[in-house]
Amino acid sequence: MKLGIGARITAIFGLGALLLSISMGGLSYFTTRHFLLAERESAALHQAFANATLVRSALASGTTAYADLLATLDVGSNSHSVLIHKSKAYASSLSLNASSIPTRLRAEVLAGTAATQTYRTGTQSQPQIIVGVPIPSVRASYFEVFTLSDLDHTLRVLGLTLFGAGVLTTLLGTALGRIASDRSLRPLAGVSRAAVAIAGGQLDTRLNAADPDPDLAGLTTSFNAMVDQLQVRIERETRFNSDVSHELRSPLTTLSASLEVLEAEWDNLSPRGRRALQLLGDDLRRFQRMVGDLLEMSRADAGSMDVFLEEVNVSELVQRAAEAGLRVLKQQAPAPEVHIGGEVRALHVGVDKRRFERVMANLIENATVYGGGVTAISVHGSSGASDTPSEVEIAVEDAGPGIDPVERSKVFDRFYRGSASGRRGTGTGTGLGLALVAEHMRLMGGRAWVEASPSGGARFVLSLPVLASVEDPER
Amino acid sequence: MSGRILVVEDDERIRSSMRLALEGEGYEVKDAASGEEGLSLFTEAPTDVALIDLMLPGMDGFECCRALRRQSAVPIIIVTARADTHDVVAGLEAGADDYVTKPFVAKELAARIRALLRRARPPEEDPGALVFGDLQLLPEQGVLRQVDGDEVHCTRTEFRLLCELAASPNKVLSREQLLDRVWGYDYFGDGRLVDVHIRRLRTKVESDPAAPRHILTVRGMGYKLVP
Repeated sequence: MKLGIGARITAIFGLGALLLSISMGGLSYFTTRHFLLAERESAALHQAFANATLVRSALASGTTAYADLLATLDVGSNSHSVLIHKSKAYASSLSLNASSIPTRLRAEVLAGTAATQTYRTGTQSQPQIIVGVPIPSVRASYFEVFTLSDLDHTLRVLGLTLFGAGVLTTLLGTALGRIASDRSLRPLAGVSRAAVAIAGGQLDTRLNAADPDPDLAGLTTSFNAMVDQLQVRIERETRFNSDVSHELRSPLTTLSASLEVLEAEWDNLSPRGRRALQLLGDDLRRFQRMVGDLLEMSRADAGSMDVFLEEVNVSELVQRAAEAGLRVLKQQAPAPEVHIGGEVRALHVGVDKRRFERVMANLIENATVYGGGVTAISVHGSSGASDTPSEVEIAVEDAGPGIDPVERSKVFDRFYRGSASGRRGTGTGTGLGLALVAEHMRLMGGRAWVEASPSGGARFVLSLPVLASVEDPER
Repeated sequence: MSGRILVVEDDERIRSSMRLALEGEGYEVKDAASGEEGLSLFTEAPTDVALIDLMLPGMDGFECCRALRRQSAVPIIIVTARADTHDVVAGLEAGADDYVTKPFVAKELAARIRALLRRARPPEEDPGALVFGDLQLLPEQGVLRQVDGDEVHCTRTEFRLLCELAASPNKVLSREQLLDRVWGYDYFGDGRLVDVHIRRLRTKVESDPAAPRHILTVRGMGYKLVP
C-alpha cells in the first residue's frame, strides 16, 4: 500500500526526530562516559601510584605483615588492593585473590610495565578499573581494583534519560510532522472541495484568490484559470448543442409536417409512391428519435438537463409506463402482466414521469428487439424492512439468451453492440437506448443494472428511492 | 373541427409545412414571421388559437405571449425545442396554455388545439354558482367575479381549471385527473402545466398567493378547492 503524502510527511518528521535524538543522545552518552571514565582512570592511577610508593617503602623496610600493610593504604570505599610479593598474593578484601587480576595484566606488570585495564567481571558484571604497578625494587606487583558501580549507575541513569528524551523527541517530531502535513495539505482540501463542486456542475466555483498565502498564489491562479477555461468551453459546448438542436429540429419539423401532409394523400398515391412514402416515414421517424437521443445525451454530458421530479404512486407509474411502452411496440405476443408486490402498492417515488416513460419504453424495446420479447415486468421492494422498503426495484425480463456477466456493465455504454447482436439490420435502435436509461435513472436519483433472470433471459432492473409515505385515502 | 389558428414562426419552411399540415387537419391558418407581425394580425382579426415559437428574432416568444395575453384570453400554445427546460415554465408563466416540442407531429398538435378549443365550452358537469372568499364563480356564464361586482379576468384554461376544482369542492384532484379533464392529456402529461396554472390562478383568486386559503396543494396527491 502506498502511503499518502500526509503520512509520508509525518513519517519523515518522525524519522528525522528519531535520527536526531539517536545521534545527539549517543554523542552525549559516549562523550560523558568517556570523560567520566578518563577522570576515574586518572584518579585511580594517581591513587595506585601513591599506594605503590607506600607499599614499596614498607616492603623495602622488610615488613611482612601484608594484611596490616594493605589495611593502612589509603583506598576509598570503591577500591581494594592486591599485592603480589614473592609469587604470593595478598588482598585487602576477602572477595579478591590473585585470580581476580587478569593474567595478561599480571604478565604485563611482571614484565615491568605500569598498566590499567577496564573490564567487567564477576557475576554482577561489575565494571572495574584495575591498575597494576610493578615495584621491581622489591620484586612485587601492586594492583588496585576500582569498582565502577557508582559510575555505571550514573551512566545507566543518563542512558535511560537520554532514551526517554529520544522517545519524547520522536513523538514530538511525529506530532509536528502531523501538524505540518495537515497545515500544508489544508489548501489541497480546499482545492479538492472546489473540484468536487465544479464536477457537480457548480461551474462558478473558484478558489479564493484573496488568500494571503504567497506560496499558494500560483496554484490558486492556475486552478482558477483552468476552471475559467473549462467554464467557457462547457458553456460554448452547451450553446453549440442548443444551436445544433435548433438547427436540426427546424428541418425535422418541416420534414415531419410535410410527411404528414403526404401521408394524408395516401389514397392518391401510386403503389410505388406509397412504398417510397413508407420508407421515408419510417426512416424520418427513426432519424428524429436518433437526433432526439443524441441531443439528450449531449445535454446530459453538458450537465444542462433540468429534472422536474413529481411525487407519484409507483405501481400506477409502472403500470402506465409498461402499457404505453408495450402499446408503442405493438408486440405480437400477448402482453405480459405487470406484477406488483403488495408491499409497494401504496409507495410513492419522485420521478420525471415522461423520463420514466422513456426509460420503460427503451427497456421494453430493447427486450423486444434483442431479447425475444418481454416475459415479465415486476415491481417489488428492496433495501429495508419487508413491509417498509426504502427502495423499489422495477424489473423487465426477456426471453433472450441473457447477457454474459462480463458484458453486463457494458450494455449501458453508448453505441455498445453486444457480441450477440448482429441484428443491426432491423435498424430500430439508436444505440443510445440503454445509455439513456442509465442516464435518466441517474438524474432521477435511481440506478439501472442488468442481471440474469431466473428463467434464463436478461433481467433489467431499475431502482428508485421510496419517498416518505403519504396518506392516500383514495386507495 | 374547424377553427382559426395564428402561427408565429420565423422559419419560412416550417411555417409553410405547418400551414399545409394544419390546413390538412381542417384549420384555417394565418401565419406571421415575427412576434410584432403576429400581434398586429391578431389585433386585426382575432383567431381561436395562437401557436408561438419561443425562439423568434426581435420580440421573443415570451414577450409575444405576454403581449397577446394582455389583450386576449385566446388559448396560446408555445413551440419549444426542448421539454426539459425552464423555457416551458417561463412560457407558461408568460401566459401560455400548453406547449409542444419541435419536431412535433401535426396530428398531435391538432389534438392539443382540439382540447384547448373544447374546454372553451362550459364544463359538462355544471357545478352551479360557487362562492369562495369574496369571489363568485359562474360556470354557466363563464364568469369569475368579485362578490361586489368586478369581473376577475382569467384565461379560459384557468377558468376551466377552476371549474374542475370547484365541481368537487374539498375533494383532492390529482395532477393526472386535472391534466386529463382540462388539457386532455393522459397519465404522462406534464404536471408543470397544472402547477403553473394553479400558481397563476392563485394570484387572481387568493388574497395572499403565497399562503393560499382556497386552492390548496395536497402533497404527493394534487390540489383541492376549499370554499
